[in-house]
Amino acid sequence: MALTKEEAIQKARQDLAQRLGVSESDIEAQSVETADFPDTALGASVADEMSGQMITPGWRIRLGANGETFEYRANQHQVRLYNYKSGNYRI
Amino acid sequence: MNRNKFILQIALAIFLILIAALAGQLRKVQKEWRSAVRIMPGASEPYVVFDPNQVDETRENNAPEVLVKFRPGVSGDAITQITTRLNDRVEDEIESVPGLAAIDDLDNVDAESISAEYRALPEVEYAEPSYEISLDHDGGGFKHLHPNDVRFSEQWALDNDGRNGGKEGADIGALRAWVTSTGDDDIVVAVLDSGVDYNHSDLQNNIWVRPDNIKQYEDRELGSIEDVHGYNAVENTGDPMDENGHGTHCAGIIGAEGGNEIGISGVNWKVKIMALKFMNAGGFGTAKNAIEAINYVIDRKRAGVNVRVISASWGTRLPSRALEDVIRKAHEAGILFVAASGNDGANTDKSPQYPAGYDVGNLISVAALNRKDELASFSNYGAKSVHLAAPGANILSTWLGNTYEEHSGTSMATPMVSGVAALVLSKRPQLSVDELRSILLRSVDKIPNLNGKVSTGGRISAAKAVGAE
Repeated sequence: MALTKEEAIQKARQDLAQRLGVSESDIEAQSVETADFPDTALGASVADEMSGQMITPGWRIRLGANGETFEYRANQHQVRLYNYKSGNYRI
Repeated sequence: MNRNKFILQIALAIFLILIAALAGQLRKVQKEWRSAVRIMPGASEPYVVFDPNQVDETRENNAPEVLVKFRPGVSGDAITQITTRLNDRVEDEIESVPGLAAIDDLDNVDAESISAEYRALPEVEYAEPSYEISLDHDGGGFKHLHPNDVRFSEQWALDNDGRNGGKEGADIGALRAWVTSTGDDDIVVAVLDSGVDYNHSDLQNNIWVRPDNIKQYEDRELGSIEDVHGYNAVENTGDPMDENGHGTHCAGIIGAEGGNEIGISGVNWKVKIMALKFMNAGGFGTAKNAIEAINYVIDRKRAGVNVRVISASWGTRLPSRALEDVIRKAHEAGILFVAASGNDGANTDKSPQYPAGYDVGNLISVAALNRKDELASFSNYGAKSVHLAAPGANILSTWLGNTYEEHSGTSMATPMVSGVAALVLSKRPQLSVDELRSILLRSVDKIPNLNGKVSTGGRISAAKAVGAE
């Protein structure tokens, strides 16, 4: 089922809370902007993952917690955590 | 019989003959009028280029409308009975192809509907409209062939006339190439992607269907798979229906049916697209599934399917030795592998992208151009690792749900090259994979700003590759 922007933000927030071991209320949505990503994995491929080389529109979601900023990338198909501890994660 | 009655009957017979002759003339006038309307700008086919000073060299006014291939064993009498029943007539038999006939419609029905009517008959192998086309010449004296697909004017990659900020002539030279060949449905191109919407009305006639004489796919672990249009490596089934759109877009660039009065034209008007699905609805997949799908293509080639090209509009930063090995196997099987160079705007000589970066003899790595003949801002490049460029920005093609969308990426440039490869093979089917690759690389149009960016320094040229110029 296609994700809405609000649903994608909520999934990102839940994921980050779980990773950091904090309450969702401690996570701040710093910015949400539309963006064009370089491929169908939103420029955030995980290991052993091939993706279509098509410019893909989506949302760049920046969340703040514990004084740090975390970048999630999402579109109607998926939510990904970008460049977290030198890796990407499909949520 | 008395004399008066005899004279009356003679008069009646003459009257009936005159009526029949008049009806015949009216039908002829009606057909000529219908043919004339077809090529009038602003009439039923507003995108067909028509110059009143040019003569349509390809059709007569009363040209037949549908080409029908009857199955072996269907007799001439049976064909006559069928056409009579449908109120049509056989205009001409094409002797070089047994069973092929040009059918003239006697009703006011469009050619696609008539084709569909014939395709539904068990006696018919295939039926297609007799393409409405027009020929003219460019300033260089080269002939052009224009399709009548209603959105063709938006396909700058095939014919860039400078509109929307484009550069005139910054295209693959499709109009000139099509004078030589519009493709051949004996050539099979495997679209290794997110699958293909094989029901799309601009694709369905160009989708590969496994012939009866080719056994269905047997996988040692998975068993027998009923592969009608290709293979689904995500779910290990024979149904490669696209759930993302990316594969359908690539398929349309290679082979959306041309000259069918709808949508767009592929680089090939006629070709067979083998649909392969290894990426899911999100548009991503694993190396293992890509390998499974390539393995399927090689198996089908060995089984007798004339699959000559794999189009691979995908990639990753991480190399896979196994993926490289299976692409080498495809080379041994005589299959060209065309790959996207990637969309990071990076030099892949320093930061490779795979599979485009493998040093394999059957591989062509493709960069993307915009409509101004500039390397697209997103496109990867590499004087050693990228071979040529092709249009890849703002490309209109087929999409899910019988729609069309414009997209950008080296994903879109890749099937341009795969399509040209198939077009070359339609003219020269005997070419080896190495010869084919060499022709594609040697026949590029040199573009100054590609010097040092791609190894050939040029843009793919369909016209030069097929020998049209």
